[in-house]
Amino acid sequence: MINRFHKGAKSYEKTICAAIAIFAFLCIWQLVVSFTKAGMVLAGPVETFAAFFKAIVSPIGTHTIEGHILWSLSRVLVGFVLGSLAGIVLGILMGWFRPISALFRPIFELLRPIPPIAWIPLSIVWFGLGESSKYFLIFYSAFCAVTMNAYSGVRSVDAELMGAAKMLGASNRQVFTSIVLPSCIPQIFAGLQIAVGTSWATVVAAEMVRSSEGVGWVIIKGQDSNSTVQILVGIVAIGIIGYILAVTMRAVEARLCRWSVRGK
Amino acid sequence: MERERKMSREVIVCKDISKTFDTARGPVHVIDKVSLSVRENELLVLFGPGQCGKSTMINCMSGLEPVSSGSVEVSGRLVTKPGPDRGVVYQRMALFPWLTVMGNVEYGPKVRGVPKKERRERAQHYINLVGLDGFENSYPNQLSGGMQQRVGIARAYCNEPDVLFMDEPFGHLDAQTRYLMQEDLMKIWEKEKRTIVFVTNNIEEAVYLADRIIVMRNCPTSIKTEYEIKLPRPRDYVDPEFLRYREEISAVVDKAL
Repeated sequence: MINRFHKGAKSYEKTICAAIAIFAFLCIWQLVVSFTKAGMVLAGPVETFAAFFKAIVSPIGTHTIEGHILWSLSRVLVGFVLGSLAGIVLGILMGWFRPISALFRPIFELLRPIPPIAWIPLSIVWFGLGESSKYFLIFYSAFCAVTMNAYSGVRSVDAELMGAAKMLGASNRQVFTSIVLPSCIPQIFAGLQIAVGTSWATVVAAEMVRSSEGVGWVIIKGQDSNSTVQILVGIVAIGIIGYILAVTMRAVEARLCRWSVRGK
Repeated sequence: MERERKMSREVIVCKDISKTFDTARGPVHVIDKVSLSVRENELLVLFGPGQCGKSTMINCMSGLEPVSSGSVEVSGRLVTKPGPDRGVVYQRMALFPWLTVMGNVEYGPKVRGVPKKERRERAQHYINLVGLDGFENSYPNQLSGGMQQRVGIARAYCNEPDVLFMDEPFGHLDAQTRYLMQEDLMKIWEKEKRTIVFVTNNIEEAVYLADRIIVMRNCPTSIKTEYEIKLPRPRDYVDPEFLRYREEISAVVDKAL
């Protein structure tokens, strides 16, 4: 209980510090825009947030800002869910069966350093300009991150725990389902965290290259019409949603992995 | 008389067991022709200095590791692989951190297909036995080291094995908790007698717990000598007889580096 109280007090202090830091940042931004020449190429925070709230009711292009956000989120959702599921399955298989890892691991080691956005041109050639190429890119970015994490999660399962389970009478199949799978959940979540971040970054990039809606499109249209306000509205939206995604993932993890050190 | 007769039944029989590990720097001979037997409901302590292969002894006797030569029999059956007729309590606890205390204790019966109601009752019985009633729904990381090892003991007991191996189970605990755990282990064992092989490098712990102490030689492990400890229980750490045993055994133990 003492511990929990202490933690509570800390997070309260943290919130105040964060609020002060953000407020100071906004003030400096406003001062720079109001009193220097930067104001000619950069919209101020007041103007940006006014435009952001206005965009909630009056559309930019064909959609309001929530509409654009939902478009981007739907792309992320499809790619992320499919990519993560495939990644979890392949990663676990690689971890449990040596021949599969011998076969796939070298490929992943080669693919890993290539950022997903490097595949944008090829994905357009392969899948066209529609949704499929975006789904593919996000699938790919989630898939790589989750596969490698699920793999190393299975590889790092405590051998003593598996021994203890066998000693208590568990069959190999039971060791897999009751020891290996729960053991690697925290590491799979670490992969999902990374995947959600890269998926969100990838969708914005893909929309900037080619789309007719979504937050990436808002930014690129802002550039076309020389409106720094619109660009910043897009950036603010990306920041807020990215933050919400990360926080949500952490909350889900903390709930599912109450037992683990990471989940604390 | 009844107990004498039962005590004489040999539950564990090790014949000439040796163990050699193949390492990158060549073979390492860890156990050298150890023969021993453990009687039913006896508490045997394997006592030896430092890293002399006592844990490897436990791994071989419990079936976690195959022996290089010789044989181990538990209740007349040859030990070749891990199995639920042998229970192990580990130095590093080896609790399943994603399961509650109840989940850990009932794990053995659960994987062996004991119906839920029955295994819950049985698990509750052993949770009470080790003094953890009220903590059934706690996770291991919410418990102190001593309480975690109580879960380890309850988990091993709950599977109702023929023999229990305890591999320096109190090695990671602080001195005070260690004394308390030794006392409580004695109380548990007096209430529910089991055949126990207990490994330790702590001479006081050995004399406090043992019916019989086997003193091991260092690297490779072999049997040096053995003592029957004929002191009434509960034992007193500063009783003159206790101290005499302590002194006598200290004198024959190899010094660990």
